Amino acid sequence: MTSTPMPAPAAGTPTANASEAPADEGLRAGPLVTPAPAPATAGSMIAIEGVSKWYGDFKVLTGCSTRVARGEVVVVCGPSGSGKSTLIKCVNALEPFQEGQITVDGTRVKDRGTNLPKLRARVGMVFQHFELFPHLSITDNLTIAQRKVLGRSGEDARKRGLDLLDRVGLSAHAKKFPGQLSGGQQQRVAIARALAMNPVVMLFDEPTSALDPEMVGEVLDVMVELARDGMTMMVVTHEMGFARKVADRVIFMDRGEIVEDATKDAFFGQPRSERAQQFLSKILAH
Amino acid sequence: MFSNFDFSVIAASLPYLFGQGMVFTLTLTALAATGGIVFGTGLAMMRLSGIPGVTQAAKLYVELMRSLPLVLVIFWFYFLVPYIGAWVTGSATPIQVGAFASALVTFTLFEAAYFAEIMRAGIQSIAKGQSAAASALGMSYWQTMRLVVLPQALRNMLPLLLTQTIVLFQDTSLVYVLSLTDFMGAASKVAQRDGRLVEMYLFAALVYFAVCFTASWLVRRLQTRVAIIR
Ligand SMILES: Nc1ncnc2c1ncn2[C@@H]1O[C@H](COP(=O)(O)OP(=O)(O)O)[C@@H](O)[C@H]1O
Ligand SMILES: [Mg+2]
Repeated sequence: MTSTPMPAPAAGTPTANASEAPADEGLRAGPLVTPAPAPATAGSMIAIEGVSKWYGDFKVLTGCSTRVARGEVVVVCGPSGSGKSTLIKCVNALEPFQEGQITVDGTRVKDRGTNLPKLRARVGMVFQHFELFPHLSITDNLTIAQRKVLGRSGEDARKRGLDLLDRVGLSAHAKKFPGQLSGGQQQRVAIARALAMNPVVMLFDEPTSALDPEMVGEVLDVMVELARDGMTMMVVTHEMGFARKVADRVIFMDRGEIVEDATKDAFFGQPRSERAQQFLSKILAH
Repeated sequence: MFSNFDFSVIAASLPYLFGQGMVFTLTLTALAATGGIVFGTGLAMMRLSGIPGVTQAAKLYVELMRSLPLVLVIFWFYFLVPYIGAWVTGSATPIQVGAFASALVTFTLFEAAYFAEIMRAGIQSIAKGQSAAASALGMSYWQTMRLVVLPQALRNMLPLLLTQTIVLFQDTSLVYVLSLTDFMGAASKVAQRDGRLVEMYLFAALVYFAVCFTASWLVRRLQTRVAIIR
């Protein structure tokens, strides 16, 4: 487990799927985030301890436990319906859970005293369907939460938003509306929107699975760069190329359980469970 | 058959019909629609809140208003509002409420039930992912509603809200039961005074038709324009 942020890539370093050049300006060089130096006593950024959750009688999560260290990139995979989205949504309390505890950067998620909006403001989340606000321009999408939640001035928010928009290679689109952008572009804006809040950790829920294949690369490029800049990331994805490139650990879930939780090399080397092996051979087959 | 009709009485009374009557009608329509949409949105949020008691209270209110004839509600409030006012302010005697204020309160409360159903559909039409994204950015429930959900719901529902406002515009003619002079009331007074009932009521019908027809046409045109690009 590494807890030291990796150095930023040199300018022009080719990243994931270099063959699929984005149709627009392409990625700007330079770090997407300035990682805070990890304190000497750095514990886990996310600690998930014995989390169980029910939807009525249906048990979605069963005793899930894992940790994500500072600067670590953890990929979560598993068959559809295995509870990946549910688990990741428990981390920022978008979904409540009945048993166990989750601690994010020292804050207990399931605690009466916890200010959930405040906690969520420090946890970036990227959704499968982007969820940009369609009635707001790209600039407003990037600034609204900075202004209304963090209380930043319009000018500061704008500066940070446009800077991040530039980093994801979309500064020419600042005045457009989400509906005028392609899926890949929208997802890059969504990543920039989350980063604009200066999150301590980023959660991704299948960020590329709603995209046309030719747009997957441009989004993964941004995520790879983010990982290399030292961002702590928990990523639900079936993009095993991404996992091989930047993941520190891979978690495999099935029927609400964490079946496998291993370093990347161990996971791709010889996953211990039969279910994980089957899953891997299935998704690597195509 | 129109040979012994005298349409000059209309021309002579135009300033009164429009300067007073129509101004009153439009003022009441605009104020009641605004108030009704605001209160209706509150009712819709209550109904969707999922909080036991709150949901049922909003539902009961909406169902009740929607099952009563408007004219009954107008009478009811006219006689009741002074007493409610006295109760609210702790006064011993009924509060003096003008007919206009009473009518405005009535139309606002009555129309809110209809606007609430429109706004409820509007809020429900916004995908769950939108409020999840707002929450994930740290927005509170109220910020999520005010900044993300309601602006989109209002825009999606604008044609229906305006159509309901056209209905309200027609319904305001019922204020004649409170002896208020809206457009219909003004036409009625002139008709009685000059003994020209047929001409005046024909004219009034024509004006209502022209206004509503034009407004509906504008709403249909608007419908194709406000749709948010997705
Ligand atoms: N709101 C809900 N109510 C009931 N069941 C749900 C709800 N959301 C998800 N589920 C069920 O929980 C299980 C896990 O869902 P999810 O976490 O979305 O899986 P994954 O992201 O791994 O595909 C699925 O069987 C799904 O049908
Ligand atoms: Mg999912």
